[in-house]
Amino acid sequence: MALPPSLRLSVTPPELELIACEQLIEIIPLVAMERTAFISGAFGPLRPPAKCKVPIWMATNLKLKKKCHIVPPDWLNVDFLQDRLTHETSQPEFSQLPFRFAEVAKVLLDVASDDFENPERLRSLLKDIQEARQAKSREGLSKIDHSELSLPNLCSMEINEIRPVFIKAMGVLSQLVREPEGRLPT
Amino acid sequence: MSDISLINSAHQPGHTCLAFAKDGSRIYTGGSDSLVRIWKTNLGAEQEPDVAIEAMDGITTVAAGNNAWFSGSEDADVRQYEKDKHEVSGLVTTAIGVPIRCVAVDPKGQRITVTSDEPTVKVIDIEDTTKMFVLKGHTKAVRQATWHPSGSLLTTSGADGKIVAWDVSDSEPKNITTIEGIIPEVYDTDSADFRHDCSAVWHTSGQYFIVATRAHEIISISRTTWSKSATFSDPSCSGATTALALSHNGIYLASASTSGISIWSTQTRRLLFRYQGSVTAPVTKIAFSPTQNLLAWIDTDGVLTRWPDPIPSSSPDPVKLISVGAAVGIPKKRGTTPNLFGDDVEEKDDASKAKDLNLDEEDEYDATMGDLDDDNWILDDIGGGLQDDDGDAKWAAKEGIKEMAQPPFQPGSTPMENKKRYLAYNMIGVIEVTDQDTHHIVNVEFHDRSARKSYHFTDHFKYELASLGERGALYACPPEASHPAHVLYKPYGTWASQSEWQYELPQGTRVIGLAAGGPPPTQSMRQKNDMDIQGNGNVVIATSDGELIFLTGGGVERHVMSLPGDFVCMCAGREWVFIVTRDGSTTMDGSQNLTGRLIKFDDFCMLQKDTVPIPKGHTLKWIGISEEGAPIIYDSSGVLNALPRFRIPFAATWTRVLNTNTLDRKEGKHESYWPVGVSGETFMCLILKGRQEHPGFPRPLIQELPLKFPFKRTDAKEGPLEEQFARETMLLDILRDGLDEDELTSTDISRRELALDKSLIQLIQFACKNDKLSRALDIAKLLHHTASFDMAIKVAGFYHLIGLQEKLEALKDDREDGPDKLEAQRERRRDRNAQFVPIPDNKRYSTFAAEPARPKPFQDFRPPPAIPRPGLERAAGASTKATGTSQITESSQFSMDDEPSFDFNAHQDIENSNYSQESSPDGKRKRFEEDSNAENDAKRRAVGDSAGDMRTAQARSNPFARKPGAVDNRNPFTKSTETNKSVHKSDSFFNKIDAAETEKPKRTTTAKGKSKDKKETGRQTTLFGLPAVPPPEKKAPGRKKKANVAEESQSQSQRGSAEPTAKPAEEKTSAESQDTDVTMLESQESQVLTELAEESQERTASPEPIDWPDSPAPVEPEESTLVEIVA
Repeated sequence: MALPPSLRLSVTPPELELIACEQLIEIIPLVAMERTAFISGAFGPLRPPAKCKVPIWMATNLKLKKKCHIVPPDWLNVDFLQDRLTHETSQPEFSQLPFRFAEVAKVLLDVASDDFENPERLRSLLKDIQEARQAKSREGLSKIDHSELSLPNLCSMEINEIRPVFIKAMGVLSQLVREPEGRLPT
Repeated sequence: MSDISLINSAHQPGHTCLAFAKDGSRIYTGGSDSLVRIWKTNLGAEQEPDVAIEAMDGITTVAAGNNAWFSGSEDADVRQYEKDKHEVSGLVTTAIGVPIRCVAVDPKGQRITVTSDEPTVKVIDIEDTTKMFVLKGHTKAVRQATWHPSGSLLTTSGADGKIVAWDVSDSEPKNITTIEGIIPEVYDTDSADFRHDCSAVWHTSGQYFIVATRAHEIISISRTTWSKSATFSDPSCSGATTALALSHNGIYLASASTSGISIWSTQTRRLLFRYQGSVTAPVTKIAFSPTQNLLAWIDTDGVLTRWPDPIPSSSPDPVKLISVGAAVGIPKKRGTTPNLFGDDVEEKDDASKAKDLNLDEEDEYDATMGDLDDDNWILDDIGGGLQDDDGDAKWAAKEGIKEMAQPPFQPGSTPMENKKRYLAYNMIGVIEVTDQDTHHIVNVEFHDRSARKSYHFTDHFKYELASLGERGALYACPPEASHPAHVLYKPYGTWASQSEWQYELPQGTRVIGLAAGGPPPTQSMRQKNDMDIQGNGNVVIATSDGELIFLTGGGVERHVMSLPGDFVCMCAGREWVFIVTRDGSTTMDGSQNLTGRLIKFDDFCMLQKDTVPIPKGHTLKWIGISEEGAPIIYDSSGVLNALPRFRIPFAATWTRVLNTNTLDRKEGKHESYWPVGVSGETFMCLILKGRQEHPGFPRPLIQELPLKFPFKRTDAKEGPLEEQFARETMLLDILRDGLDEDELTSTDISRRELALDKSLIQLIQFACKNDKLSRALDIAKLLHHTASFDMAIKVAGFYHLIGLQEKLEALKDDREDGPDKLEAQRERRRDRNAQFVPIPDNKRYSTFAAEPARPKPFQDFRPPPAIPRPGLERAAGASTKATGTSQITESSQFSMDDEPSFDFNAHQDIENSNYSQESSPDGKRKRFEEDSNAENDAKRRAVGDSAGDMRTAQARSNPFARKPGAVDNRNPFTKSTETNKSVHKSDSFFNKIDAAETEKPKRTTTAKGKSKDKKETGRQTTLFGLPAVPPPEKKAPGRKKKANVAEESQSQSQRGSAEPTAKPAEEKTSAESQDTDVTMLESQESQVLTELAEESQERTASPEPIDWPDSPAPVEPEESTLVEIVA
């Protein structure tokens, strides 16, 4: 949801990506490395061809230097996403996806599209899912009332999207609702 | 019936077709890639077929005549080819712009029928293609045409749902009849239904034809009435029938449907056999070989499957024509028709039953077969029966030869498929070959690109065998007219120019096996380095002359050995080659009879010789060397075996390390595992889906499966622990066997032993819990470290098993007094080494260039050295120094420590055990925890930014802090101890321990203090401000209370994740900080009794190397000594 700068109170998508890059992902290293200490912890050892779990930021870094292959997470494949898309388009509720799926998928598809089968199809599926979910969250926002809005399985990117509108709207709504109550006694 | 089928990916997915040559020597397949491939039936799956490439569009049909074969394609042309060749000999006809749908050759081989998307059918004379007539009667495309065995009758199946029978015996073709409502109407030529085979398959008797109906039935239609006469049905066969075929003699009908491939008896119309494998894509065409017991089919994935021997030898042959008499006699043998899986043994068992059954049916046969005498049905009353018996014998013999005698193979190689193959695929890298017709391109890639440089080269010799060793790649080419066979060795190292060499074999000799071995490099092979003196490893070549030639990596011929039998395969390790041969012949009951030998490189002596354990009826699939150096084999039954004690000459046994059939992940899936290697506890493999036999291109990812001994105990807790123990012990044995002569143990081994002891203690605990005392004792005998016995004794004490406790005591004394286990082992190793000196185990990966003295900065996980602070010395007194030094020694010692101790607390929570693996001062332990946490949860970084501080804090760890105690308050045993005060009895026993272990006394004190505290936690806050030093006479109780406070404050501070930097000076001044009353007390003591300062310091604050849990019994003597000291 494109918003004017005045409404952009929340974190930006690149910032969310940065946060998501802390998640661990499996790689197949192409270089050997001993266990190494980083600020966020110690990772490794890298022993090709054994797989290793490292944070995404490290995986992308190694990938850009052609020093590893990224093992696609089990949810990032055509079958799974197709399944989720049909679920998304046929069911009223949000389907279950990893909380930061949008960020992780974007980062991985950006740097390691050659490690995926059919990256183009993945991209279009992700786009479809994203649009289907956006439509739902818009619909959800239209049903907003002053007390609650329940959107289970909403993902970080989507929460971030609706955050500015939602906070404002919630504020206004609660004001609108509270005022008559406050006046009633007088 | 054999279950082994030959699978080839023949064409691109889409419509495909298939036909056998009349003599059965070839199979023609066509596909949507507009190619026709010609497969030789006498070759296996690794053949490269001839290709006919003339068609411009997808091939829709192929047919074989006597002297030619025909293809029809969507480009509207029917082409004629020379028999068995791919040279086109003429264009037969063209359908003017619409795709050809079917070409059928008449039984005499004189005419062909061509159908297309036009509603007309052409019948053309092969010799003179101008002689043709056109049949008109369909209203839509004509999908299939079939000939009656007499050649006078033709049936065509149209997209309009009609089956039309034509009389083509004379020049005026006549429409005999039109049958409607049997086959479906399909108008869309692109639909899947259109591809289904709807042809009317004439029985060889000519009495009826068989057709798949739109109701998904298979029915036979009588020629006399042109109506349905019988149905072939079986509950296990469901879904649309996509293809039908009749065996050459008409006894069997094969049908392909979505539920699989089935073979029916045309006489009883019962399901006889089923293909064991699954069918992944709809089969478009199926056919019996006219001359062999062979069934072939092709599906919409373009995969050609050949099923040799679909009809077991116990049943009548599908080829030979048999008489009516024989047909009646045979059912006795064919027996149980409803047998789904065609199991021969069962069939024999049921033979008598079948006999009864057949008696009933004989009348029926007579009815249906009554008028067989006409037409082409050959009568042979006598010969048939005899022939059949001959057939039985012949098949049995043939099976015996074929199933057995596995040919030589190179582990990790695949056959040429679509002009690509793997020559080697192992833990080091991959050799891929691309066929460019005139030459090959060899591409070598390594998994670890930092260690070796990938390369590729053009290969004019067409190398067919290769081995990728640690220090070089070895290739061998077959002899050709222009050159004899030779072997090429390309070492990776680059320090010497011209390191690559070629070794020519005499004319007429072939290379049948290759292996390149050698110790793994200690440094990157990419850099030029003169330090490496280990050379280029070793090369072993097996030749067709029955020789085994040993060369060094530099090309020096060392030894020629006679092969003890038929060579099967080999692979080379660090110091020996593992070679598998067949000594003698295979046995009649299906055993491969393979023998494995380890032959050393240094003196060419045998190290091991043992039969390779392969189940009967199975073959060896792969052999390899694990990362630890043990030989591994994988057989076609899916079992992985290892030879862990390979260093003990002639004593090693094969251990079953993984049965892939029982893997959880295999449940409900059809997949197989193609081994790549074994590393530690993981089986590295490629997972092949469905019936795939070899990995394809692009290169699939290597998957990791954990090794799992096939232990049968299913107990959820004990089972896995026992399995883990056995598995780890196997690895430990390999490591121990590889130790040097004077090494007692290594860091790695002690660490692993410690981890094992931990799981053993858990097992003892379970055993104690369930009162299985003898079991507990058995497990205790397996413990590695003496310190672990103390743990076991504690566990026994906790469960009030005094008897067991005493036995464990005795065991421990025995272990202590008796000869040192490690030394005994070393002695044995030495004895062994008198005969066999293993090349010292190189650190496999480790750092390049001979172990730097200090690890690299970011890989240093040791706490930084403590900085002596003379300025603070006065404040803390000698104690600071004492702890400082003790800690340093501790931390440097831990790696070499033979008897690392346990952290019992960690062992308590099995799940997330931050098991401190080294005997650690508290600071050390914390650091470890930090690491593992960071690894598990990277987000922790946000909080854990104090990591740096922490490290320094831990380095100068507070000499006054009661850290061991702080950990204790998590001990679940504490509470129970309180409830069971009766355990006092064991006092004496603990005193014994105390006597043995001088450090321990303090421990118990703190423990006791704490256990009392538990009750008093409510009052803690009020106690907080109490004076630090209680009067000496009230000492004991007061101290306990304060210990409590200390405990509390410490645990609080721990929870806050940042450990306070405890400097002695600070402690002196701030009462709120971590310094405890106890330590205050201690410092006072040290002031009063300087000579005792050191001792007391050590007691209270020195980091205990052994983190004992609370003892169940309070130990009074401690208290008294304390009082004495103060007094």
